[in-house]
Amino acid sequence: MSDRKLPRLLQSPAVLLLLVWMLIPLGMTLYFSFIRYVLNSLRRPEWTSPSLSNWRGFGNYEFVLKSKDFLFAIQNSLFIVCSILILTVILGVLIAVLINKTFPGQGIVRVLLISPFFVMPAVNAVLWINMILDPVLGLQGIAIGSINDLIDGLRAAPGVGWFFSLWPELEPISFRATQTSAYAVIIMVTWQWTPFAVLIFMTSLQSEDQQQKEAAVLDGASPWSQFRFLTLPHLARPIAIVVMIQAIFHLSLYAEIEIVSRGTGNKNLPYLIGEFANNNIGAASATGIFAVILANIVAFFLLRMIGKTLME
Amino acid sequence: MAIVAKPSRFSKYGRPTVAWVVGLLFFFPIFWMVLTSFKTDADAVKPEHLIWFTPTLENYLNMTENYDYWRFAKNSVITAVFATAFTLVVGIPCAYAMAFNPSKATKDVLMWMLSTKMLPAAAVLYPMTFLTKSAGLFDTHFLIILVLSLINLPIAIWMLFTYFKEIPKDIIEAGQMDGVSTMGEIKEILIPLAWGGIAATALLVFIFCWNEAYWTVRLTTTDAATLSKLIEGNRAPEGLFFGRLSAVSAAAVGPIVVLGWFCQKQLVQGLTFGAVK
Repeated sequence: MSDRKLPRLLQSPAVLLLLVWMLIPLGMTLYFSFIRYVLNSLRRPEWTSPSLSNWRGFGNYEFVLKSKDFLFAIQNSLFIVCSILILTVILGVLIAVLINKTFPGQGIVRVLLISPFFVMPAVNAVLWINMILDPVLGLQGIAIGSINDLIDGLRAAPGVGWFFSLWPELEPISFRATQTSAYAVIIMVTWQWTPFAVLIFMTSLQSEDQQQKEAAVLDGASPWSQFRFLTLPHLARPIAIVVMIQAIFHLSLYAEIEIVSRGTGNKNLPYLIGEFANNNIGAASATGIFAVILANIVAFFLLRMIGKTLME
Repeated sequence: MAIVAKPSRFSKYGRPTVAWVVGLLFFFPIFWMVLTSFKTDADAVKPEHLIWFTPTLENYLNMTENYDYWRFAKNSVITAVFATAFTLVVGIPCAYAMAFNPSKATKDVLMWMLSTKMLPAAAVLYPMTFLTKSAGLFDTHFLIILVLSLINLPIAIWMLFTYFKEIPKDIIEAGQMDGVSTMGEIKEILIPLAWGGIAATALLVFIFCWNEAYWTVRLTTTDAATLSKLIEGNRAPEGLFFGRLSAVSAAAVGPIVVLGWFCQKQLVQGLTFGAVK
């Protein structure tokens, strides 16, 4: 008995599951984005259940576009993602080139370097914002406090006191404040994802053409031009992949933003959706559709850029 | 070798030194968390006990009392294990079909699967809450297992597909000649041959499930709450509980970090879909 049809059928459970997972909630989001729908309303109780009679057309979209947080959330989302991408790629290339040659303890250094990548985002955020970045009790606060103490001591010292009495008192930075909380998120995510970039670039560097390099050395090429004209072009593809994967993950950053400042001054699109969803489902859904559109624009360019290389 | 470039002083001493400094810097926050976990809550915020202190195990011994750690840990283990298993059960047949009986649409289907990963989770937050609450699934292990499987399925299928593609088709076809059924082929030929790749996929999916922090936080309250939810719920200890919070954090990430050390190579292949080797 031939069962040649069976193999194709084996794809269907996965495809069906993903299709349902994608279409049903997204369809509902689309529907809710066109109606008036709130969770609590004493004045208009009819809006508290989804119904076509509450049709609002593009009203929710208009409302969202006009809300003061929306444009900022998009700007902030892109700011956070782009900053992380630039930092991780630059640091990743530098570190990968640095540790690519054999040296004593290379294996241990690799293990030390990769560890942050496996720390769960919630722990990452709690650890950084409290134990490290806290302006009073964290390492930052303690370090700045002790520098100030030292300077205080030097002020009273004979001979150098005149110099240090005009020295400024250092102020610790509060990373839970309005704009700085975005920096805190960028720092912690960069710490977590640079190892990922390093790992991928290192894997790629191991397949670099060594003969070409030797020829370049013979021709008297400087280390810089070797890096610029051989290594960097070789890394083009892994860089594109690192950018794509990180863009996917970081456009939906949530836990870090929630933990650092509960979104104060630092909302991104997912966070704004979460806030609307506390009551105004129509607005949350319209924002969700905007987020889908933004993700699709990014995905379109990125997949174009590297889709072909993935398929080879 | 024709040329022996004289090793410069930098490559002999400078490079290893800088490399070690960078490695230690990146590891430092984890080291600091573990160090703080052995301090009492009072010592943890005293500058004079920054490095010199009397180590104590009380934070670890009191994890149940302080945070109910084991209940959350149990939920993390249950959901991650079953989600990984379910992902493989659905993913292996799919990747098998794509690798050995591809159709014209296979590439598009693969790309489409990847694109579902780009759908921002927040966009479907409310419908998911609404659906799961009305189906009575909110805050159940079943729901979290299902959601974790679905979000990891695309990456798992991609990974398995890249591993399966490397198996010579002849071997599978020889099995077909001998009249082995499709299921038999998967069980007796494919799985033993691709065991390494399947294990790597399982490991990676497990790590992702363990660390997931959007749905596990938003779709649970108590019964199915995982370690992500536990840590997220204690986000601002205001310096009062640095010791005990470090201990519970270290216990939450420790197993996964160690597991991660063993699958660095597979991680690269898996996350880049085999495009970087």
